[in-house]
Amino acid sequence: MSTRWYPIYQRGNPQLRVFLPNFWMKLVRPTEEQPANVVTFAVSTQMTKHDVKNYLEKIYKIPVVDVRTRIALGDTKRDQVYGYITKNEDVKLAYVTMPKNEAFTFPDLFANKAEKQEKDEKSMDESKQGFRKFLDRNKKRPGTPGWYSI
Amino acid sequence: MSATLIKCFNLAKAVGTGAFRNALATSHSQVAAWSPATVGSLLKCGIHSNVPLQNEKLMEFFDDPKHWSETEVKVGRAWRTDELRIKSNKELHQLWYILLKERNMLFTMEHECNDKMEVFPNPERIDKIKISMENLETVVRERNKAYHLLETGETGERPQKQIHNAFGLRCNYKTIEHVLPPFMNTKWIKAQHNTYGGRAVHKFLLHYREKLYNVKRKAKNRSRNEVMMTLRRNPNIDLQMLKRKYPDVDIDKLLSQDKTRGHYVTKVDA
Repeated sequence: MSTRWYPIYQRGNPQLRVFLPNFWMKLVRPTEEQPANVVTFAVSTQMTKHDVKNYLEKIYKIPVVDVRTRIALGDTKRDQVYGYITKNEDVKLAYVTMPKNEAFTFPDLFANKAEKQEKDEKSMDESKQGFRKFLDRNKKRPGTPGWYSI
Repeated sequence: MSATLIKCFNLAKAVGTGAFRNALATSHSQVAAWSPATVGSLLKCGIHSNVPLQNEKLMEFFDDPKHWSETEVKVGRAWRTDELRIKSNKELHQLWYILLKERNMLFTMEHECNDKMEVFPNPERIDKIKISMENLETVVRERNKAYHLLETGETGERPQKQIHNAFGLRCNYKTIEHVLPPFMNTKWIKAQHNTYGGRAVHKFLLHYREKLYNVKRKAKNRSRNEVMMTLRRNPNIDLQMLKRKYPDVDIDKLLSQDKTRGHYVTKVDA
């Protein structure tokens, strides 16, 4: 159940239905090596195993065989100057097993980041050079608009 | 084959030799029916199905691949309540799930960017989603309230009331449904902390109220002194404006006091 208020469940009543769930789930890169059909998620701390299973099956249409969860303790850090301690929030990790014929490998999101950055820098340099040329040309006639001469 | 044979032996042990013979006979007939061609095709099928398929549905947790190496991802604004009010319930329901998936996607991307020491492009997307979801919920709540009021005469919201907590401070209490009515639930009656008392709490409340009073008193003195100094420096100031600016200060009383007079000789017209 999400964080909303629902009536108390009594035996024989219809099952509670969540219409607007506000749980979040994020797919995280596994820290340890895992079988191809196991996916790691960080989920809302209130979520149960059943919630994770239903969430994936109903919203994302992903077949789920098994779910195991654990709550990972947030890192504590001591401030270098004042010595007080801060702690990151605890997070629930769900290890979701899909059927054997399914697989998932975490994609490399920044494979061609460097290439793109180089291209961007090159175009930036070119435009900088163009502006410098324009300034050089207009040294003796400051304030002249760009369309005045070729 | 061997597995079926073992099964047959186990069965024979359990049931008797008659059943064992029958099972053996069926297995033999099956072997005879399998031609090499069929076996080959089966094997091929087996190999083909053993290769696991990359799950495409899980890629919904990631942004569009063309945005992966971008430094800026341009998006529109959040949904407003007025826009959501003209949508049907079904459309709102669908939109909620779209927003939910988008938020999960953004969370995943943010987490991965943080992990890889990269800059997450346009983090305000998460805020936009949050605003949209809040607006959507308010619209749904409005409709729910209207429906409940029409049908039952109550808002259908979770009942709340103001109570004193264990420290004697007023706080909001959201009521919870219980299986037992309160007079029968003796355990709950014993456990409830909605009352306060004792010397420590009394002392705490005394100090706490003194603190609150001091804040109020200092604010009052500050504004009075401000008015006083303004009057001293600017004898011809617009009094109506001052009264509007400091409604709590009694300016007429201040004017009669010596403190509002400046250290100069008043100019007398000849």
